[in-house]
Amino acid sequence: MMASQNMDPAVAEISSKGIPNLNNGTKETHSATKRLQKELSTLMMCGDKGISAFPEGDNLFRWKATIQGPSGTVYEGLLYKLVMEFPSSYPYTAPTVKFETPCYHPNVDQHGNICLDILKEKWSAMYDVKTLLLSLQSLLGDPNIESPLNIHAAELWDSQVLYKKIVREKYNKDVLGK
Amino acid sequence: MATAADSQDGEEATPSPNSSENGTFECNICLDTARDAVVSMCGHLFCWPCLHQWLETRPTRQVCPVCKAGISKEKVVPLYGRGSTNQQDPRDKVPPRPAGQRSEPENNTNFPGFGFGGDGGLHFSFGIGAFPFTFFASTLNLNDGRPQPPSAGTPQYAEEQFLSKVFLWVAVLFIFWLLIA
Ligand SMILES: [Zn+2]
Ligand SMILES: [Zn+2]
Repeated sequence: MMASQNMDPAVAEISSKGIPNLNNGTKETHSATKRLQKELSTLMMCGDKGISAFPEGDNLFRWKATIQGPSGTVYEGLLYKLVMEFPSSYPYTAPTVKFETPCYHPNVDQHGNICLDILKEKWSAMYDVKTLLLSLQSLLGDPNIESPLNIHAAELWDSQVLYKKIVREKYNKDVLGK
Repeated sequence: MATAADSQDGEEATPSPNSSENGTFECNICLDTARDAVVSMCGHLFCWPCLHQWLETRPTRQVCPVCKAGISKEKVVPLYGRGSTNQQDPRDKVPPRPAGQRSEPENNTNFPGFGFGGDGGLHFSFGIGAFPFTFFASTLNLNDGRPQPPSAGTPQYAEEQFLSKVFLWVAVLFIFWLLIA
């Protein structure tokens, strides 16, 4: 009798400790799902000019996005596709964003990886798909030459005419197949 | 006067007209209406579970997600809306939300802290006790050199009454001790 009475609280304690741990992952995923759904509906209701984003298939944690080259820059009129992958800990950790369309840019490497502080150490939970895409859009016309991933592009940036020619040539070759 | 339960029922029945129409009261992390709301010292609104999770995620860089100001769990202010002081959602109790700091209003002429635990009985005996002590005091010349006693009703009067009660009890305890020893 005594033993069973003593057992019960112990069991209760173990299970009460165990349940939150087990639920932590699913709860985290749940909050990420909720937030991504919210972002999606906001994007669909008031989409910004020049950017778009939508989940790939029925996977809410992998989105396809596009950004248009900002007008007045060498990227004007070009459309770049990106892939965004969201961790289950989103928005507490940043999504992985990569260019799917090859992008000749000082801060983008040949695999489409992007070097942008807000995707790394400057990430904040308040950034969302929209602010990320807008930041990437402005990065196109305003690269950080100091820490380039593409040294060639960084060195060429100052000679805008030549730079623009190379951007167009590469875009035509990679995207349009010309 | 309505009871607490009544007012809560009324609260639930009342539709909130502009709940999430403008983003003013949305959490900056989950983008939903903030629940268990807290405000950082820089003035940014979050759900407590959301902010807690954010601070847990990066313990070395405790900054406000909005303005990057330094931030800490101890320095957030909870927001209590009407009828929401007793949050009933046990799921989000994992990290208890920091409590609001509350300073007592200045008390006047009442000495609620005084007493030995019991209330009514003691106060009653004070009432009787005050007289014999003034008697003691006058015979022992404790009042020497003091200004005229203040008139009844003023705070000074109450204070003096209190003091004399205290002294009376010291005296009573002293006599009691003498009797026992
Ligand atoms: Zn929140
Ligand atoms: Zn802030």
